[in-house]
Amino acid sequence: MLRSKSGAARAAALVAGAALVLSACGGGDDGGDGDGAQTGQIFAECDANPNECNSAPADQLQDGGEVTMALEKDIANWNLNSSEGNVFETGMALKGVLPSTFVSNPDLKFAMNEDVLESAEQVNTNPQTIEYKIKQEAVWSDGTPISAEDFIYIWKTQNGRDCPDCAVATTAGYDQVRSVEGSDNGKTVTVTYEKPFTDWQQLWESGQPIYPAHIAKQHGDLNTPQGLKSAFDWFGANMPTYSGGPYKIEDFQKNRSLTLVPNERWWGEKPKLDRIIFRIITDAAQEPTALQNNEVQIIYPQPQVDLVNQVRNIPNVSSYVGLGLTWEHFDFNLDTPALKDKALRQALFTAVDRQALIDGTVGQFTDKVEPLNSNNFMPQQEGYEDVISETGQGSGNIEKAKQILTDAGYKQQGDRLMAPNGQPVPELSIRYTTGNQIRQDSSELFAQSAKQLGVTVNVSPTDDLGGTLESGEYDIMLFAWVASPYPFANAVQNWTTGQGNNFGNYSNPDVDRLLNEAAAATDRQDALAKVNEANRIMAQDAYVLPLYQKPTFIAAYDNLANVRNNSTLDGPVYNIGEWGIRQG
Amino acid sequence: MPDNTNSDVSPVPTRTSGPEKRTRVEREFTVAERSQAQLVLRRFLQHKLAVGSLIVLILIILLAFVGGWLWKYGVEDLTGDHSQPPSWEHPFGTDAIGHDSFAQVLRGTQISIGIAVLVALFATIVGTIWGAVAGFYRGWVDTVLMRVADLVLTLPLLAVAAVLGHNTQGTWWLIAVVIAGLYWAYVSRVARGVVLSLREKEFIEAAKALGATDARIIFRHLVPNALGSVIVNATVLVAIAILIETSLSFLGFGVRPPDTSLGLLVSQNQTAVSTRPWLFYFPGLFIILIALTINFIGDGLRDAFDPQQTKVRA
Amino acid sequence: MLAYSLRRLLISVPIFIASTFVVFLMAALSGNPLNRLLAISPPPPPQTIEAERVRLHLDQPIFERYWNWLTGLFRGDFGPSVESTMDIGNEVMSRYLVTLRLVLLAMLLALILAIIAGVVSAVKQYSGIDYTFTFIGFLFLAMPTFWFAILLKEAGISFNNAVGEQVLFTIGDSSVYVAGGAWDKVLDTAGHMVLPTISLALLSFAAWSRFQRAAMLEVLNSDYVRLARAKGLRRGQVMRKHALRTALIPLTTVTALDLGSIISGAVVTETVFQWQGAGTFLLEAIRKDDVYSIMAWLVISATVIIVLNLVADLLYGVLDPRIRYA
Repeated sequence: MLRSKSGAARAAALVAGAALVLSACGGGDDGGDGDGAQTGQIFAECDANPNECNSAPADQLQDGGEVTMALEKDIANWNLNSSEGNVFETGMALKGVLPSTFVSNPDLKFAMNEDVLESAEQVNTNPQTIEYKIKQEAVWSDGTPISAEDFIYIWKTQNGRDCPDCAVATTAGYDQVRSVEGSDNGKTVTVTYEKPFTDWQQLWESGQPIYPAHIAKQHGDLNTPQGLKSAFDWFGANMPTYSGGPYKIEDFQKNRSLTLVPNERWWGEKPKLDRIIFRIITDAAQEPTALQNNEVQIIYPQPQVDLVNQVRNIPNVSSYVGLGLTWEHFDFNLDTPALKDKALRQALFTAVDRQALIDGTVGQFTDKVEPLNSNNFMPQQEGYEDVISETGQGSGNIEKAKQILTDAGYKQQGDRLMAPNGQPVPELSIRYTTGNQIRQDSSELFAQSAKQLGVTVNVSPTDDLGGTLESGEYDIMLFAWVASPYPFANAVQNWTTGQGNNFGNYSNPDVDRLLNEAAAATDRQDALAKVNEANRIMAQDAYVLPLYQKPTFIAAYDNLANVRNNSTLDGPVYNIGEWGIRQG
Repeated sequence: MPDNTNSDVSPVPTRTSGPEKRTRVEREFTVAERSQAQLVLRRFLQHKLAVGSLIVLILIILLAFVGGWLWKYGVEDLTGDHSQPPSWEHPFGTDAIGHDSFAQVLRGTQISIGIAVLVALFATIVGTIWGAVAGFYRGWVDTVLMRVADLVLTLPLLAVAAVLGHNTQGTWWLIAVVIAGLYWAYVSRVARGVVLSLREKEFIEAAKALGATDARIIFRHLVPNALGSVIVNATVLVAIAILIETSLSFLGFGVRPPDTSLGLLVSQNQTAVSTRPWLFYFPGLFIILIALTINFIGDGLRDAFDPQQTKVRA
Repeated sequence: MLAYSLRRLLISVPIFIASTFVVFLMAALSGNPLNRLLAISPPPPPQTIEAERVRLHLDQPIFERYWNWLTGLFRGDFGPSVESTMDIGNEVMSRYLVTLRLVLLAMLLALILAIIAGVVSAVKQYSGIDYTFTFIGFLFLAMPTFWFAILLKEAGISFNNAVGEQVLFTIGDSSVYVAGGAWDKVLDTAGHMVLPTISLALLSFAAWSRFQRAAMLEVLNSDYVRLARAKGLRRGQVMRKHALRTALIPLTTVTALDLGSIISGAVVTETVFQWQGAGTFLLEAIRKDDVYSIMAWLVISATVIIVLNLVADLLYGVLDPRIRYA
């Protein structure tokens, strides 16, 4: 995509450039000559048709071409299934390389990966049994068929039993699998569960993809824990030279770039681009200038008002704000004595005006964002039900909040709130991640609404979110969860008694029972209903107030086809094999 | 570079021609002390640029500390005007959730100046004592003390400050302590140089002969006489500290929200340069204005304390 | 002179080692690298976290950790990084090369500009050009690097738009792929270097030009230059052979002394221009509580600075005929 003139002309321009910049000394008139030339409409259809917008048939694409996309983190560990390698950016970089069973589409729903599988079906409910049929022609780039062996290898490292020392990101689901067996030359995989796992599609999905067992074998005996571990670690330490996707890795320069080229053994439709480069840009603030200067052609940064407006002013670039699976929320720490009282919690949440909070933050660059009314599902997902509105929480209704407090025996004394025991309500602290402007603003808005009830809330950032949550050094925390398309195991982790992600120590036996039942169901609809029932109880308990679905932001040059937003953890690269440059 | 300290301090005569020249203007008669101060003041007032800068700086300080207090909006107030460009209502515009940028810049100026002054104070006290002790005792004490100072001087201090600043959790006076903990070494060198030449002077000999203790000689005779160079350096240090603090905050290891500083404001608004320029330019201009005026004042002071150097300098 | 430098070096080493202890302590106490794992949803199993604790030596008392690190250093072992696949030694070396390229080029640019500006200012003292240079000098001394660098990028893009071609780049030290031959590669690299080099050079330039001006004035007013002029030597000859050469000597020392601050400045420049050098390496390490990487950076920085100071000492001897090595 670079324009190029003769070397001498460029050299002359370069010298002139240096001189000009030196003499101008930063007299930056911005924009240049790009006025009015903005087309920027390639994502226009994405609201109505998220899965197919900006598409172009293969014959309208040029053969070859190079596209550079910004990647915000260096790749430190290549094993996406390890706790260290389980990084969103690494997942994006390897999306075109590693095969998987299910993928997450732009409409936030999962779908079987039709490139790899013929079918994936639940063939028995007791015991729960899933049968996967792998495509006959699916092979690794060295010609070895993709087979049940690969599934078995992943299961063994991930189940927590066969390789207790493998530092895996998660054992969820794999630990409930009794056996994984291959038949039909390894092209049919039969998975039998010990106990039903509602989210069975989550296993070997695109976030925890399949690595080649035949290569693992070269680096450890897959029948011993030590051998499994050494193979597992080897995958983390070594860049994949193998591929089971449309692209393979040609070159990786640490901290600089990753280059993909087409995989000749790919059995699906041949990719159009000769080369896809992921350019590592760790500071999102530097991405718009790089895009404007055509050093990268696709960016996928966290949106922020200036960044979005800056990108919207770049000629020949289209951008799109999507709504993703990440949702922001206020959490109470139920170990804080003052917050043990449900009435105070309800009142504080009721006083929060979520619409005003959205208007002052993400609403500055998009009007799509609305208050979120579920702790488990996004509105676009199956199972979403509004369980918050009926409680009045997040409405900003100060009168109602005061009424709740009065009913519970609180008294207003001057501008301070006195608890029923006559003591003033102590000062509380709200924490958020250092450097996150939007969260800082949201926290200040929370403090302001609490002040109207007579409660002083101090805003203080933390640069160690995990540590602060773990140690409980907060009264109110503002952070985000990622709602997975596979919600059931997540709900257990986040809301049931004593679980690792239940940082505020919420405990309600009814919620525990409902969520555990939902996670171990074979009927999905029944499970969804149970999660929502639990959520209603939780909402009444005023533990976590969902705020909004966090927007995502993609920008790309107008000549790129089939590039589109995907706000799931798969990211816009979910269809990387289809990307191409329009002819002409 | 924010910490171009060496070169910044370097035009002080100590490095080029040694402190001897300066000390020649000191009078051996103690009665001259007051007239000396008047002399310095008169010479300073002749330096138009320095006096002008002093006035501007005082105005900025008044604006920040008094104006910030009087201004109708506080730092934490949310005004309901989102992302407004400058107007009479909001001279510096507003940010996304409606903070008044004028109030923010004034608050940032308070914190930045507060840190800078504290740095200069700490660094000057520690550095002067360190240098005076080294210069006075010489021998191995001198060697060890000055090698420590040399070592500190050669390190990339901004980066080391980032390592240490990580611990401060954004507490503004702790940041000042960290910066001062690294920048005292500059002062110590100057102080040592002055003391080295002073200690050979007759009035020190006399004090010794009269049986004065070491501490008395250091604090009653050496330190006051080194004051001129020390004040000049302290002034320059304020300008350096402003820039260090802003760089630290820019990198995320200095002042943290909800508190603010000029560097933090620029950092938070760096993407706003073409979309909401008022958020980016005003804090930046304040940084430049403060550092610039302090440098000019330092220049004026240097000339005032050391008239012989005047002709070498604009 | 060299002997003096070496002796100074020998005394500095134990002091440096003592100071590493302080930094180690501060860095190790500032945060727990394992917290990063705890924030992941869903959290990794406890055995994963325990294994990581052992790998990073977090199970050892702090003094033992420090001692093991120090002794490891002499065996060329920098210790384990939070990133298990990263070899700290290789990483910090390769990233220092990137930084040194930027730093040395910026110093060269700053020196050339500073000498020109300083000498012109001194020779034309109190002229318009002197005031202009002085003002520019003061202005750059007061300008935060990052603020200037951001403006510089905007200016670079405007320039590209004006010539209608991508000449200057804002990200990284070179393109990943360059079509064409060696000449295109050179141009590409040069196009990447222009903006960061200028932004890093300008503040040193400001300080050094002021310094050079003072040094030059001092020499011009010295007796021997007056004598040379009185003897009837031509002005240009006096300037070059006598004045300039003498006036350059103090600048050598200042340049060497300023190395630390330039490396500091590179931290900011690398962030804005996304160079993957030692500066960004350090920032990442601090953010990840990667104690051993921070320490490796410190040790290598100290080494680089000491070596370059020795080089400056040697240069000093070449420039100043009064100093000759035995």
